[in-house]
Amino acid sequence: MSELDFNRIEEEGDGSGVRMKVIGVGGAGTNMVDRLMLSNPDDIYLSVVNTDQQALSNSPVLDKRCIGKKVTGGLGAGGEREVGIEAAESDRALLESMVEDVDLLFITAGLGGGTGTGVAPVIADIATKAGVVVISFVTMPFTIERAGRANVAKVGLEKLRDVCSAVIPLPNDLLIQESAADASLLDAFAQADAWIEKAIKSIWTMMVKTGMVNLDFSQLRQAFAKKAGKTLFGLGEGKGEDAVDDAIESLKLCPLLHTPEFSKKAEHLLVNIVGGVGLGMASVQRIMDSVTDEFGKDANVVMGAVVDEGLGDTVEICVIGTSDVSGVSMFQPAAAKRATAPAKKLFEEEPVKPEQKKKARKTHDKKVKVEQHEFSFNEGDPKGEFENSEGTIFEGQDLDTPTFLRKGVKIAL
Amino acid sequence: MYKTKVIAGVEIGTGKVTVLLGEIVEGRSLNVIGLGQSSSGGVVKGRIVDFHEASDCVHAAILAAENQAGVKIDGVYLAMSGAHIDGFLSEASVNITGPERRVTREEMDQVVSMAQNREMEDSRTVIHHLRRPFRLDGRSVSSPVTMQGEKLESSYWTIHGDAATVSDAIHVVNGFNLHVDDIILSSLATASAVATDEEKKNGCMVVDIGRGTTDYALFQDSHCLFAGSLPLGGDHISNDLSIGLRMRLKQAESLKIRYGSAIIEHRDKSEKVWQNNDFEIGDRQIPVWSIERIIELRTQEIFEVVRKKLGALYNPDRLAGGIIISGGSSRLRNIDKCAEGVLGIRARIGDNSLIATGELKDAQYSTALGLLQYGLQYQSEKELAESRSGGLFGKLKELFQKD
Repeated sequence: MSELDFNRIEEEGDGSGVRMKVIGVGGAGTNMVDRLMLSNPDDIYLSVVNTDQQALSNSPVLDKRCIGKKVTGGLGAGGEREVGIEAAESDRALLESMVEDVDLLFITAGLGGGTGTGVAPVIADIATKAGVVVISFVTMPFTIERAGRANVAKVGLEKLRDVCSAVIPLPNDLLIQESAADASLLDAFAQADAWIEKAIKSIWTMMVKTGMVNLDFSQLRQAFAKKAGKTLFGLGEGKGEDAVDDAIESLKLCPLLHTPEFSKKAEHLLVNIVGGVGLGMASVQRIMDSVTDEFGKDANVVMGAVVDEGLGDTVEICVIGTSDVSGVSMFQPAAAKRATAPAKKLFEEEPVKPEQKKKARKTHDKKVKVEQHEFSFNEGDPKGEFENSEGTIFEGQDLDTPTFLRKGVKIAL
Repeated sequence: MYKTKVIAGVEIGTGKVTVLLGEIVEGRSLNVIGLGQSSSGGVVKGRIVDFHEASDCVHAAILAAENQAGVKIDGVYLAMSGAHIDGFLSEASVNITGPERRVTREEMDQVVSMAQNREMEDSRTVIHHLRRPFRLDGRSVSSPVTMQGEKLESSYWTIHGDAATVSDAIHVVNGFNLHVDDIILSSLATASAVATDEEKKNGCMVVDIGRGTTDYALFQDSHCLFAGSLPLGGDHISNDLSIGLRMRLKQAESLKIRYGSAIIEHRDKSEKVWQNNDFEIGDRQIPVWSIERIIELRTQEIFEVVRKKLGALYNPDRLAGGIIISGGSSRLRNIDKCAEGVLGIRARIGDNSLIATGELKDAQYSTALGLLQYGLQYQSEKELAESRSGGLFGKLKELFQKD
């Protein structure tokens, strides 16, 4: 296999100064990036990482990295998380070079196997230490798969939460719920990829397009300054005459907001609204009010609203929320200095009024401070009781998770 | 002269705290003279997680009951439930050595203490020793003394709980300057209120599905052979609904109460009901099928897990008395049919008409009433024991030896 001359991140032409990259890790992660590439080839840098040379060669993505050849011989991690970790550690320098000059990194992976579960946390750790904002999208195995897999996935999820700004788990159990009754498993996976794609696109739009209400990278960084914990993530879409109301309604019904894996309220809320030309300030206000009401604790809400002519009468809402779990800042002081650098560059590039600049700086300083927060998930939380209590494990299953999800029974809405 | 004694049955549930006061007259008859209830706080899945909040709720309920009765409590019987409850079987045997090979009282005491003497970790505390019938040369006998045989076997199902959790519960009561006379496993208390002697003789199961826990006990030949507690309950049903139908827990709970059924009654998926039914904007229609399906799956699973926990003891042929369902979730429509479907034995919804009248017949008082029953038995036994120089097995073991 040719080790392509891939890893050149050129200075991008979108002018935002925010360098975004998506890294797909392992088989499932690679598939997600592949699909992302089909729909969106130019906008974001795409890379895939695997321990399995064969699987990599099937990916249309240009930047492919086979890691841990010394460990696995390029034959994959064989479902062993430890092998995945070892592979990642053996090629640490390569992974470090991959996250160089990146401001915002998305990691996609499927948890439960070897490569995704083992390697993704290592990459996230490297990136975070380098001051990159890392958002991970990971799929969680079906409960009906053997129990060991679910446990491995849980460990991987915890590790990721330690080193990412936000981790968005997509339980496969849930995908079944969302797919049509006669859909195949592949269709269900396509659904997960569609969610990830929408989320990444939404954040991308927010970063690179000038909107009615502008949201820049420093605000994004601010919102994700703390360790992830449980992340709130939801998408809503509305179309036609009542697009705004429909979008709000569909956001509230977003299945991702109704799993035990998700927090229902968040301290930092990032809301992005993308709409066609019909999207007015009043609609934006309405959306913000209801979103803050629904998902914010005394939330620190950051909002962006963008008009995209191509969307017609469609309105899309994307909500990402994080809460300070430990009160520990994501970025170590040493890294923090570096962390602010790209953002500063951003301000230098755009004509910014001095006082605004000052304000932005101030928020940066605040971020580095270690704030201690008392945090509890279950305030006014419908699932609070079980979310916070130790699981009820019986025959390898956590009985606190709804029975219908574990048994893969599709519920009509 | 016998002084009347006032005892309290206290059940600290996940949903609410129930306190019943009973007056024991002459050591043998019981009158319920006071009732206090408060909605519970600081209790998750039957376990106290917030000591202060739980204390406040329990004290409120005790105070209400005391005020109603206008008396002071002499002793408390406390129900115990939650995931920390576990059990093991311990067995012992002795060879009968006497000249005529007749079992002596000393030999019986010896085999009993051997069976009960199993070591336990320091973090665990024994709640009950449930004695199964003695076996004399393989025959099941209830009272072996003076019977003839070679080998006497005794086996116990020992129920133990997390020492810290049990002591937390006791401290909540102690904090009100009250003495806990005894702690009793919830399912045993409930069973003594809802199951008839005949059912226990023929073999039956009592399953008390509360908000946070499901407590179960299995009886055969009038002995309780197995009892335990699962951290599953009505809250799980509501939680499943809330996740599956994407609504708040309160809304899900209201749907469960209004339209819930533990088996599917509406096969037509187009039949829908309003979520809030308040004619407000934001209300939406939910297929009844979905509600019923989610509830059915969860309820079936609860019964399945109970059955698995019972293991080989679960034998429909030896459970002619069927299953008696109690607790808040027994109000769920068709839960008896669901149990019959899963377990293949007759099911009925329990109430307290055996021992109570009027308001107290309601299933929500079963556990507290059962606690008072225990208290009554304990008091009358104590009297008996005092007059007879010491009980044989101690109080609890005696309770399961009714003929």
